[in-house]
Amino acid sequence: MDIIESKSWVEWLITIAKFAFCFVPVLYILLLIPMERRGAGFMQDRQGPNRSYIKIPYFGKIRLLGYVQNMCDGAKLFFKEMFAPKGVSKFLYYVAPAIPFAIIFISPCVIPWFGPMVFEWGGKAVTISGAILDSEVGILLLFGFSSLSAYGAVLAGWASKSKYSYLGSLRTTAMTVSYEVCQGISMMGLLVLAGSFSLTDIVSWQEQHVWGIVAQPVAFFCFLIATIAETGRAPFDVAEGDPELVAGFHTEYGAMHFGMFYMGEYAHICIASFLVATLFLGGYSVPFVTTETMQAHMGGSLAILCGVLAFLFLAFLHMMHRYSKKLLASKQSNKMVILQEYKLYKIVGWLAVAVFVAAGVCSWMFYNPVQTVVDGVLTNTLGAALGTALIHLLVLVVKSVFFCWVWIWVRWTLPRFRYDHIMNLGWKIILNIALVNLVVTAVVAKLLGGN
Amino acid sequence: MARVIKQKPMTIIERLYIFEAMRGLWTTLKHAARGLFRYEQLPTISYPEGQPEINNGYRAKHRLMLRPDGTPRCVACGMCAAACPAHCIFIEATQSDDPRIEKRVMRFDIDHLVCVFCGLCAEACPVDALRMDTKKIVFEHRTREEFVAHLSDLIDWDPKDYPEDAQSQMAPGGTKNAEARKVWGMEVK
Amino acid sequence: MSNFYNMPKLPTENSPKVEIFVDDKAVMVPGDTNLLEALKAVGIETPHVCYHPYLPVSGNCRQCLVEQEGPRGRMLVIACYTPVAPGMKIYTPASSARVKNARKATQEFMLVNHPLDCPICDKAGECTLQENYMECGQNEGRLRPEYGKNYHGNPVHQFVDAKGQVRGGKHVDIGPRILLDEERCVQCDRCVRFMRSVAKDEQLQLAGRADHTYITTFPGEKLDHEYDLCVTDVCPTGAMTAKYFRFQKRVWLLSHTPTISMDDSLGANIWIDHADGKIYRVMPRCNPEVNRSWLSNTSRMAFQNFNKNRLPAIGGVKVIKEALASATGKIALVAGGECTIEDLAALRMLKESLGDRADIFGGSLKIKSEPDGIAKSGDPMANRAGFKLLGLADDNLWDLAQNVSNYSVLVCVNNNIVGDGNKSMDVIEKIPTRIVLSAFNDETANMATLAYGIRHWSEVQGTMVNSLNILQKLNAAPTCPDAELRPAYEVLSELAGNTFTCAYDAFKKAAEYAPALAGLAYDSIKSTGLHLEGGNA
Repeated sequence: MDIIESKSWVEWLITIAKFAFCFVPVLYILLLIPMERRGAGFMQDRQGPNRSYIKIPYFGKIRLLGYVQNMCDGAKLFFKEMFAPKGVSKFLYYVAPAIPFAIIFISPCVIPWFGPMVFEWGGKAVTISGAILDSEVGILLLFGFSSLSAYGAVLAGWASKSKYSYLGSLRTTAMTVSYEVCQGISMMGLLVLAGSFSLTDIVSWQEQHVWGIVAQPVAFFCFLIATIAETGRAPFDVAEGDPELVAGFHTEYGAMHFGMFYMGEYAHICIASFLVATLFLGGYSVPFVTTETMQAHMGGSLAILCGVLAFLFLAFLHMMHRYSKKLLASKQSNKMVILQEYKLYKIVGWLAVAVFVAAGVCSWMFYNPVQTVVDGVLTNTLGAALGTALIHLLVLVVKSVFFCWVWIWVRWTLPRFRYDHIMNLGWKIILNIALVNLVVTAVVAKLLGGN
Repeated sequence: MARVIKQKPMTIIERLYIFEAMRGLWTTLKHAARGLFRYEQLPTISYPEGQPEINNGYRAKHRLMLRPDGTPRCVACGMCAAACPAHCIFIEATQSDDPRIEKRVMRFDIDHLVCVFCGLCAEACPVDALRMDTKKIVFEHRTREEFVAHLSDLIDWDPKDYPEDAQSQMAPGGTKNAEARKVWGMEVK
Repeated sequence: MSNFYNMPKLPTENSPKVEIFVDDKAVMVPGDTNLLEALKAVGIETPHVCYHPYLPVSGNCRQCLVEQEGPRGRMLVIACYTPVAPGMKIYTPASSARVKNARKATQEFMLVNHPLDCPICDKAGECTLQENYMECGQNEGRLRPEYGKNYHGNPVHQFVDAKGQVRGGKHVDIGPRILLDEERCVQCDRCVRFMRSVAKDEQLQLAGRADHTYITTFPGEKLDHEYDLCVTDVCPTGAMTAKYFRFQKRVWLLSHTPTISMDDSLGANIWIDHADGKIYRVMPRCNPEVNRSWLSNTSRMAFQNFNKNRLPAIGGVKVIKEALASATGKIALVAGGECTIEDLAALRMLKESLGDRADIFGGSLKIKSEPDGIAKSGDPMANRAGFKLLGLADDNLWDLAQNVSNYSVLVCVNNNIVGDGNKSMDVIEKIPTRIVLSAFNDETANMATLAYGIRHWSEVQGTMVNSLNILQKLNAAPTCPDAELRPAYEVLSELAGNTFTCAYDAFKKAAEYAPALAGLAYDSIKSTGLHLEGGNA
């Protein structure tokens, strides 16, 4: 009871609400799948999957810019029969896909989604951390969770009773182990600079000094490469190298078993991109603007945010308009159906623009919260704190989406490495560079008189 | 004899891979940006709603040209069948009712499943009866038998689809049919 | 024009060899022939249109020009009408541009009014004009288009076509079997000479003069000779076409099987032209000693019934075998004239396996006529000489008719004894078991208690001996309508208990019966046959 009463209801509400962040990777999967498929299409001068549609009575067909295809695929995976091949180890076979899937929900706990909220409530200054679990060893926890997902692949390969799966899982094992070493060592320099294992501390160090990518550019590259390898994506996807191993460790999986591996892979990308963004791109911090400045001009900040969003919608509308024009001039027989759908998007787009412009103008003109000093701490109102958290969150999302894009980008650009090349790269090159980088960082830090 | 192609050895920059990889990334980024921001410029055609433009020289489905009175020009000489490398043309001839015309085609089958669309048949035709300018490139049927185009199928075309071709206009329904028919109807002595 | 006295002398094996100089090279050629044949003997082909080895020389086409060194210098002469003389000097296009040009000019003249009908012409592909054009013509048309090709022949048949050109004489009906295309005619008069000197019935004539010449029959008369279809063979162009083959098949699509026509004891040599398992026509195959280049209409048109009314091979040989084994009385084995030597050998083997109970009868009840001197001997029993060679009776069907009561089983092979217009053989009904092996479901087969289909002679390999005592070889055309059907020798040998798997097995068996055949192989029989020593014909 003491614990309950030690916090006000608002604190409790926000603390519990933070658990919703556990579902961020799942939302990212919904984003990443179309991004990967259509992104791959664009890179290869294709259109990507865009033909599935939903028939709406009295309106026509909507394709949601190709998103319906992913819905169809998901539905198909979901409703397919799940079966195990003859002779597999049933328990391990069924458990294996659950491991990477479970990690989706655990990993986001330690990521700081926004800066510590400091606001005045009931005459007291209240501080709420941006992470669900603000651990002192957050980054180690995250690494631990991340490594666990390799067990899914290993168990799947072992349980499938297939030589291809087995080889795939062997490769996964060796590669994950190798690149985790690289990953850990390459990140050490930054930890030395920040002097903490806590992700919140690392972000606040970057906020106060410089972003990790500036302080540790070599470490950034090493870490990025190691993380791509860790997620098992191209060019490091020897674990499921189709020409050699059919589909690697998930050869024998179908339906939602495979779907869980699939989602686990994308969630892993999501977590990894959050990690890279947090460690090297300043996490939730807004570039060139300190949190204090932002809080002091909260109305203006929200107005700028609304303006950016309105601009994005305007750009979208412009593209829609251009494409409609081209389509109208073409001889495509179903163009009127598509144009009608575009008309809908245009209406929605203009509505969004109107709403954001109105909201931006309103917040700029009328929203001007006051800051007070409570218990010797500069606090904001609850609204200003929530607004700050929103901006922080959006900034973090933008950074992480960029890194997700990097993952897709790299996959559709670089050809797959040979297995021995991967091992050479990991042990002989990246590890050594990371070690040198760590030593140099430590010496420089000591000489410059850090802690 | 095998030819050995000397390859330029890679420079140190190329051997480092990371810069070459970045060049590749830049290329794909350009293409991706084009796809995203200039979606309408992608060369993809949304088949079957959108159909490609067929050039005039394209060798598409065959057709048999018609005389002004509507009979096929084909004299069943079998040159097309003789020229056909795929052996997909089957012709049977018979005597014509017209005293000025010796030979008339009775059966003219082209198996489009076997046809390789090389155009040699159209080249071989001595009376310009067989052409491949219909611009019909889509063959969709349920059974194998339906892919065999028969005589009735091959002569079933509309002069309005060939407005620039004077020969086609001489067929029934064409703009030049009347005068061609006048010449055609010149009486036998 | 031509007369009876200038038949070309063809070289034989016994021709004296003389030395002449062709293109300044000395060659030995047959000395008693004309230059065209002599050059052919040394491998130099001379293009010709009007010349035909079995027709009188007319020399009107001028296509076979060669140069000859004479007292007044080198002169152009026609090779077909120039006899070979020792030491003569001849120049062919290989060395003489003059000959080449002369032939080319002749070719050009010949094609001046020849229509461009090749796509619809049935002769296309085997046309002498086409061959000559490819060999010595290849000239471009020099006529201005406004003149075009004009027809000046029979004014009755002229018409103006859709392009305004004077055309005429297309498909003129000159007889029950022949259509004439006057436009294609090059007036070589081969057909006229054939009817005059070979058929001995002058039904065709050249009418008109010069450019206006055309082939015609006498007013009100038709071309209806027994050999009139040979006219289509001798015609070097598509002017004379047979109605039965008109537009049926392009000739380059036909495969050719050399075989023997088994409806006459002369055994006319024929080509069976077939495509897709169907016989399209029968053409005479040149054999100087037998039928030369001629074939009677009867033999030629017989193929139209080869695949009709066929007897299926149902029941199997086992039933026949049981019938023979269970027979108590005597067995009559009847063979027909269409049986090859192989069939007869198998039949004799069957008789030996049956022992004394079996008697072999042979012969034909068809009416025998006189030889016509062209391609028919008049004897409808084709392999009569083969019967004699193998020591089989060839004319004792009457014995069978008189003694039918003695026999309990009749085995009739390839012999339509009932249906040949003679009621006398209906007595075979008295024989209780009547087994008929026949290609056709004919009257005899209808009368049979056991009818079994075999292959027709056009579909089997084998040999026959003709009335001139020449052993001739039949080849199997792949036109058998039913794969179940087997040759007669196979069926008979299986009945005898010693199955021949191929015709040559049967031929070797025949050599045991006939010493004249001993040591012969099929390969040693030429396409023109082999003279048998000491034959019985």
